[in-house]
Amino acid sequence: MPDNKPDNKIDLAIVVNGQPTVVSANKNAPLRTVISRALEQTGNAGQPPDSWELRDSAGATLPLDQKISDFNFPADVRLFLNLKAGVGGAIS
Amino acid sequence: MTRGQYVDPQVSRTKFDREIAEYRQVECDYLRRGWFLVRADFPSVLVVLAAPQLTPPAIVTGVAFDYTNYDMEPPSVRLVDPFTGEPYKAKELPTHLKRSVETNGPPIPGLQLPLGAQARFKTQLPLMQWYGPDDTPFLCLAGVREYHQHPGHSGDAWELHRRSGAGRLVRLLETITKYGIEPISDYQIKLQPLIAGFIQHEVPS
Repeated sequence: MPDNKPDNKIDLAIVVNGQPTVVSANKNAPLRTVISRALEQTGNAGQPPDSWELRDSAGATLPLDQKISDFNFPADVRLFLNLKAGVGGAIS
Repeated sequence: MTRGQYVDPQVSRTKFDREIAEYRQVECDYLRRGWFLVRADFPSVLVVLAAPQLTPPAIVTGVAFDYTNYDMEPPSVRLVDPFTGEPYKAKELPTHLKRSVETNGPPIPGLQLPLGAQARFKTQLPLMQWYGPDDTPFLCLAGVREYHQHPGHSGDAWELHRRSGAGRLVRLLETITKYGIEPISDYQIKLQPLIAGFIQHEVPS
């Protein structure tokens, strides 16, 4: 079947706290724009997008202000969005 | 503290099964990062974490999860011996999950800063917490049962974190990996020289 997506669109597979989803994104937008969409699609509420971090499959944290097209993601790319640690590490 | 299952077991089991099924969908990626899911039998999960960046790679720790009453309650999380499943005592922990945090630090006499400026210090806080070396440490992190049951965190209820998936298996593994596994850059070698005698360069005639 022909791919009818406009040239500036890309589908990104994102695993949110372990739950996979596919986000349709604009290649010219910064990477951070996929976070709120991925959270919405997986029903994750209660923490703002800044409380999450996005990594590639090797575990490297991705710079969120970079344009999506700059990453040259392959078609089968899978990204991992996880809640940051937040507070913790001290008991009173 | 061990508690019985008071939430409808079907509810907790369904959520548990979803955690495991979603993990299995992406397992090949997790394996490359050194995660081995070795047992998943409701309500328990055992994952062994390795450090693939080392040569030779090393098994660092096991992580035991208990999803009893999930997600009315968050899961219990313990670092355990990967071979026996026994929880580590504080003095046995292979990693303390240290994180770097900024603090205000102590007042420094004589230090003059521009108006409105503040001295900031970086300190290291372990996410694993304990009181004595023979205690079983707990993971001091929102989304973990031991954290929310601790009297020091009565103001940070589980209900505030439940909807963000703070207790989900992969999220907790990511946090443990970020602070406990990925920072490991090499083996720490301790050599103990043994004096076996003296070296004599010359034997006089």
